[in-house]
Amino acid sequence: MMAAYLSAWHAPRRRTLRLMARYAAAIVVTVVFLFPVYWLFMIAFKTPEEIFHSPPVWYPARIQFANFAVLFKDGDAVTVGNSLFIAGCSTLISMFIGTLGAYSLARFKTGGENLAVWIISQRMIPPIAIVFPLFLLYVWLGWVDTYYGMILLYTAFNLPYVIWMMRGYIEDVPIDLEQSALVDGCTRWQVLLRVVFPMVRTGLFATAVFTFVFAWNDFIFALVMTRSAVTTYPVQVTHYFGAQSNFWAKIAAMSMLGTLPVLLAVAALQKYLVRGISLGAVKG
Amino acid sequence: MARLRLVGLHKYYGKVHAVRGIDLDIPEGEFTVVVGPSGCGKSTLLRIVAGLEDADRGTIEIDGVRINDVRPRDRNVAMVFQSYALYPYLTVFENIAFGLRARRVKRSEIDAAVRGAAKTLGISALLERYPRELSGGQRQRVAIGRAIVRDARLFLFDEPLSNLDAQLRDEMRTEIKRLHQRLGKTMIYVTHDQIEAMTLADRIVLLQDGVIEQQGAPLDLFERPATRFVAGFLGSPAINFIPADLVSEGGAVSLRLKDGRRLDLPPARTASLAAWIGKPTILGIRPEHMALDRGGSARPGFVVQEVVIDLVQPTGSRLYGTFMLGGQEVVAELGAHDVSRPGERVDLLFDMNRAILIDPETERVL
Amino acid sequence: MTVRVTASGASLGAQLSEFSDRRFKYLVIAPAILIILLIGLFPLIYTLLVSVQNINMTEEDTSFHGVVQYLALFRDTRLWLALLHTLIIAAAALPAELFLGMLMALLFLERLPGRQIFVALLVLPIMIAPVVAGATWRLLFDHRYGPINQILGWLAGEPVLILWTINPRFVYPAILLAEVWQWTPFMFLLQLAALLNIDQSLTESAEIDGASYWMVFRRIMLPAIWPVLMIAVLIRGLDLFRLFDVVWALTQGGPGTMTETISIYTYDQGFRQFETSYTAAIAFLVIVLLSLVVVAALRRMEIDR
Repeated sequence: MMAAYLSAWHAPRRRTLRLMARYAAAIVVTVVFLFPVYWLFMIAFKTPEEIFHSPPVWYPARIQFANFAVLFKDGDAVTVGNSLFIAGCSTLISMFIGTLGAYSLARFKTGGENLAVWIISQRMIPPIAIVFPLFLLYVWLGWVDTYYGMILLYTAFNLPYVIWMMRGYIEDVPIDLEQSALVDGCTRWQVLLRVVFPMVRTGLFATAVFTFVFAWNDFIFALVMTRSAVTTYPVQVTHYFGAQSNFWAKIAAMSMLGTLPVLLAVAALQKYLVRGISLGAVKG
Repeated sequence: MARLRLVGLHKYYGKVHAVRGIDLDIPEGEFTVVVGPSGCGKSTLLRIVAGLEDADRGTIEIDGVRINDVRPRDRNVAMVFQSYALYPYLTVFENIAFGLRARRVKRSEIDAAVRGAAKTLGISALLERYPRELSGGQRQRVAIGRAIVRDARLFLFDEPLSNLDAQLRDEMRTEIKRLHQRLGKTMIYVTHDQIEAMTLADRIVLLQDGVIEQQGAPLDLFERPATRFVAGFLGSPAINFIPADLVSEGGAVSLRLKDGRRLDLPPARTASLAAWIGKPTILGIRPEHMALDRGGSARPGFVVQEVVIDLVQPTGSRLYGTFMLGGQEVVAELGAHDVSRPGERVDLLFDMNRAILIDPETERVL
Repeated sequence: MTVRVTASGASLGAQLSEFSDRRFKYLVIAPAILIILLIGLFPLIYTLLVSVQNINMTEEDTSFHGVVQYLALFRDTRLWLALLHTLIIAAAALPAELFLGMLMALLFLERLPGRQIFVALLVLPIMIAPVVAGATWRLLFDHRYGPINQILGWLAGEPVLILWTINPRFVYPAILLAEVWQWTPFMFLLQLAALLNIDQSLTESAEIDGASYWMVFRRIMLPAIWPVLMIAVLIRGLDLFRLFDVVWALTQGGPGTMTETISIYTYDQGFRQFETSYTAAIAFLVIVLLSLVVVAALRRMEIDR
């Protein structure tokens, strides 16, 4: 992805000038985009006086973790743990089931084009349209505000994406390896688990990241389907909004706690970012 | 038409010294083929001339004007890429016209020029098609069309035929040769294929590891190679290399092979080799310089050896016979019916007039 | 897919393997289909059912009421306003994200040492939960403690006290700012990757032929990334249609219902007003609308494959 490009456009001496100008622009752009994140994170470290200071303070005098401590003391930090558990489980399950389904689509063209289109169209349904009847269903089943209820929900919502992406990754793998294994006497299940899964390792990780991030960041499902037992971190953040004033320190600290795991995951797998985000449209 | 001069050209890619001090002087209208194994720096050289890469040291001059800092589009060169580089979203006509449109040439002129180029290359019927509808050979013609329509002063070809199959390659090679004869422009052609080099070039520049091993007319390089590399690179099948010691017995100088055989050298050559007597050398003899001994008087410089042909590979009109000589596997090019079956014992004539001797240490031809 | 050659008198072994292949391919996709059906199909049917009934906060009338809910839809100005709001936001945000993203992609396209780091940093906004993004901008926009007003004050030369999340004149800019901020990197990333995928020899050849930068952009780059742009517009368009999180965090649809998107309105009807049947009707309308768009677009995508 990172290849040299268009370097022949200008004469050599002009090129360095141009390079410096572009560097300056790049830095400005990056600063502008990162500024809000910086602000948010910085508030997490400020004291109340610094937060509620007009004009605003641009960096705290000292890094202090009091705001985080409060979260842990009050038990709010457990919501991050909830998110972690729910998102993690649903990711694992949807990755496994989804890849299985993807294999069926990729190698056997099960259901033809119609099935494939139907599956991915499920991904594009706006949550608001289905959250209501699902809520009623969950009430009837007694699944509201439960871990397994949320896990099932996210699994189901992520499956189309997983199937769509993994189909692409599987199709990229030459079929020779599987045929060779079959000739050697493997059963279809063995081929799937022993040959295909390892070959699409990178695709698995990349898709898993996005699946995880989606479940992690989701708000509307969590808002509707949870109460107090299984609050996830995005919902928790909104609890800090008040009519009069907001618990900014908590908002910031909680946001930071909730964002860091995602940042780590993405940083580790940023090579596959483009393909994952674009639904495979760009192979990056 | 343009005269190209490269002086002391160097190019580094990080730590890799891709081009090491190249000096080249190409007169107007000459067809120069830069040839060599992959990684020798030939494509890099071409791209530097085109302006797609910068030289780290040295000068590039066209018609006496230094163009190191001139942008590619102002150098007035045309280039044909290995991948043809056709614009997929434009018709063949628009592809060829692209450069002219960029220079704001009048529409009527563009039309005439494009149709003229298409006619020359025989693709007039394809003008409204899109690249994806064309075969490899057709695409190549369009790429060439795009280059010639601009009437540039220098033509650069970057391995244009490597993506074509063998038969098509022969066809296109002939086309290109004819094109050069017709247009008379200065052309620089890069390839790894020595047949293309031999057939197309007015001058061959043989490159290895960023350095010019030898340059000159094709026959010069073929018959009088300067180094082992040059001798081994040109010619198909490749020249045979057999280690041997240069010995002198009586008044005759001969080569003693590892298996004890002795090949006498013609007296005409012995004078220049006086200093090498007693030292090890490498004998280089081409497959086509060996023939079946049909009896008759021996001509000067020809020696006879009896060999056992292990492997026979017929090509139709000729036959390659492999045998052991001096501890080496040697290939001879013989007549199609000279050998009837493997394992046959035959007498072969070796033309020692044309054989070359190589210093094993410097790898230069003596 | 079996490797064994089946002659006309196929052996039992071959027959069995073919049979188990067929079973395998259905078996393997079954769990996925089941779960998707449960979560995908059930709501659809249920929604349809409920929407022809008359269930709300006070009544629980499950008898068939025909299309009375749907008729109410047409008379509900608040609904159509919500749709309008959603469209306004989408129509403003999409082009902005696309254009800015393209500028950024072009900036980073040529060789730039350390580009990888820049890209990794610029991708951050996408990864933050939209709710958190909204919350962040809420903080930034705070009229006393937020830096936005402070910076504006520097530029204007006098203190600026805009109530971004309440003042009707500034609510939409605030939402748009937050939304564009978060998703421009998405457009940027996609376009950059697509542009980098273009065969380098195409642009080199154009350069040698004498084309200007603009000509190369128009004739070579743009056509090459057109399919990707279409997909990006589709994905973002759909996301913008169901916009909820960011607006919720910034204004909760306010002031009043001024920035209420269709999702927020639906949420209000369903979970605040408990107009069950009516909500179902809205939901069904939304599903139908979107399904048409999505399926049409997807068929195009599959065809291009």
